[in-house]
Amino acid sequence: MMHAQLEALLEIQDLKSQRRELARETEREVQETVFNLSVDDALEELDAKIAEMEEALDPPVRARYRRMAGKHPRVVVPVIRGTCYGCFVAVPTAQASQADRNAEIRSCQNCGRFLYHVD
Amino acid sequence: MELREFLAEDAIQLDLKGESKDEVLKELIGLLGVDEKSQGILFKMLKRRENLGSTGIGKGIAIPHCRSLVVNRLRVAFGRKPGGVDFRAIDEQPVHNFFLIVAPPLEVSNQYLPVLGRIAQFAKEPDVAARLGQLGQPGDFLDLLAEKGV
Repeated sequence: MMHAQLEALLEIQDLKSQRRELARETEREVQETVFNLSVDDALEELDAKIAEMEEALDPPVRARYRRMAGKHPRVVVPVIRGTCYGCFVAVPTAQASQADRNAEIRSCQNCGRFLYHVD
Repeated sequence: MELREFLAEDAIQLDLKGESKDEVLKELIGLLGVDEKSQGILFKMLKRRENLGSTGIGKGIAIPHCRSLVVNRLRVAFGRKPGGVDFRAIDEQPVHNFFLIVAPPLEVSNQYLPVLGRIAQFAKEPDVAARLGQLGQPGDFLDLLAEKGV
């Protein structure tokens, strides 16, 4: 079970990752030559979708998200083997070992980024 | 770097059942063995990429791909749909062979683009589409990759 707002945050983060990669020259070249993609149009579409999804967040989550986005390019980060991959500090063992770890929206106690448990 | 490093034999399906683009994407995601929620998120991300423009590159081959936080390492799956499905490919022909690539946003070794490039190069070799159609079992696919040095 995953918290609906965490799922939305995750999607926004994935779209932002996609946008960031697409804007890079190497990926742009691959997307244009292999897939015949109009990268400029794709970037515009992604920007619009990201803005729409940010607006749809619950107000308190959106406020936290915007605060964090002002500080960090990546607002949602994975927890892998008990480590926050935003600041690389261990998250408390009790939190990291819970079976339903993504059922609540949690933040790293050190850096404040939203956490998504992968493993 | 070899493609086989990212491709387990159980992530190869030579008889996809899906009859539509969405069904095939879901089936391919299923080959990765991730949990149901992660499958849903990957499907959404792949659909978003497809909505920007089809990843069907012609000659019956598509390379759906995305980056997502729900995977912690680069993963590849291969699926073949003998009858083909409409994937809105560049050449507007049905797609029979699908290479799925998913990678985390924070991929330390940054092999996502090289893997994408290698698959695209492999797919464009003149005999590959026909050879993929002749595969009898998943191991044959790995053998073909080895033969081509991919």
